[in-house]
Amino acid sequence: MPRVTVQVRDAAGHTATATANYALSQPVLGGYYLSGGADPTADMAGGNFRSLTQYRSFADGYTFPGYNRPWLVNLGKAGVQMNMVLELKHYGAPNAGPQSFTVDGTSYTVPGPSMTIQQRPGTTWPKAYGYGQVLRGQCDGLFHRALAQYRTLGFGVNIQLASELDTDHEFGTTEDSKAYTWAESDARAVQAMNYILTWFKARTLPAGTTFSIGLGGFDRACFQRTHPEALMSRLDFLQWNAYATNANDTALSRFRRTKDWAVADLGPVALSRPVIIAEWGVRSAEIPNQPAWIATVPAAVAKLNAERGPRIVRTNYFNSGWGTLSPKAAGLAALRTAYATRPYV
Amino acid sequence: MAAPTAIAALSASVYSPGDQMLLTVTYSDTDTKPLTVTIVVTDAQGNSSAPVKVTAVIDPLTLTVTDDSGRTWTRVSDNGSVAVYRAVA
Repeated sequence: MPRVTVQVRDAAGHTATATANYALSQPVLGGYYLSGGADPTADMAGGNFRSLTQYRSFADGYTFPGYNRPWLVNLGKAGVQMNMVLELKHYGAPNAGPQSFTVDGTSYTVPGPSMTIQQRPGTTWPKAYGYGQVLRGQCDGLFHRALAQYRTLGFGVNIQLASELDTDHEFGTTEDSKAYTWAESDARAVQAMNYILTWFKARTLPAGTTFSIGLGGFDRACFQRTHPEALMSRLDFLQWNAYATNANDTALSRFRRTKDWAVADLGPVALSRPVIIAEWGVRSAEIPNQPAWIATVPAAVAKLNAERGPRIVRTNYFNSGWGTLSPKAAGLAALRTAYATRPYV
Repeated sequence: MAAPTAIAALSASVYSPGDQMLLTVTYSDTDTKPLTVTIVVTDAQGNSSAPVKVTAVIDPLTLTVTDDSGRTWTRVSDNGSVAVYRAVA
């Protein structure tokens, strides 16, 4: 680690010395995600794509690498850094009810998910394993099953617990017929995340395993509530997502919003953690020229990383939902160009 | 004479290669004081010149910045108590 030394000397030869250390970073990893957990290999080929986001539900019997996803193993062994989002959220049938299975000789019966999340009015509320269920140890079998599969992967990944706690809790949650406010849900989630971290960290994990929790990062109070120092001391990364959904959104403004809140509100442990942008994207409805917007991202990330506060180390473009590249070829070409630009190289 | 004090602060703890790095040095010494000397020349007849003023600094401080990675730090500004230096990562 380089060190700069300052010496102040007066005429009589009295001196005072001060030092400051600094480190030089690796390039930011440019990354990707393809709709539906589809095989991104062809889209990534030939480009400087070094990072990938994937989503799995703990309910799924095939968490690592996922059902019929041998390509994930190939990409991981080729050095692509995986951000595996493991959710308590249930993605729907099958396995909607109780599950019985055996892992490494231990038999488990896991009850069906007892919580609803994302309770947006006028929509069907998705189910999730409840924070109470987690704390009662009823989901241990799900964690054990995921871990057993993870150990066969052959490389370490970042395990991001939850996709977006703020999105999950925005309209409150309900578990066992009891309603919880947004803030109450955040507090319960922090306890449950702690439980899951304790469960995993008490066991042998593949080398290079890291952990984070997931947030969209669109609500300052929620971001603060879900990042207490005690939890952050057990996590390796901060994480948020960045989308442009308004014609006036700039890359700098979208990537910096949550960072500014973090710098203002979080403690030194949290701020010592680098940042994974698990999802970023440009919505073509408001910003038809996606390539032009994508082209501004490298400079924005470089500028943010030159400022005080946590550094952004991975940015995974979400070619799905809000970020769907349309037309895809032009968007992909822009991504390739961006990821060939400093700070990605 | 009193001993000087110095504090060094970098604009970040981690830099990407090619980034601008800024170092802020805050320094002082209780002896270091600006002084203004006013001179009036008077002859035998009592005629006086217009006063002229010169300023001096008592016990000025010398600042040196070194970097064990060999980077060169260039002074951007210095007001006598705060100096800013720049280098490229």
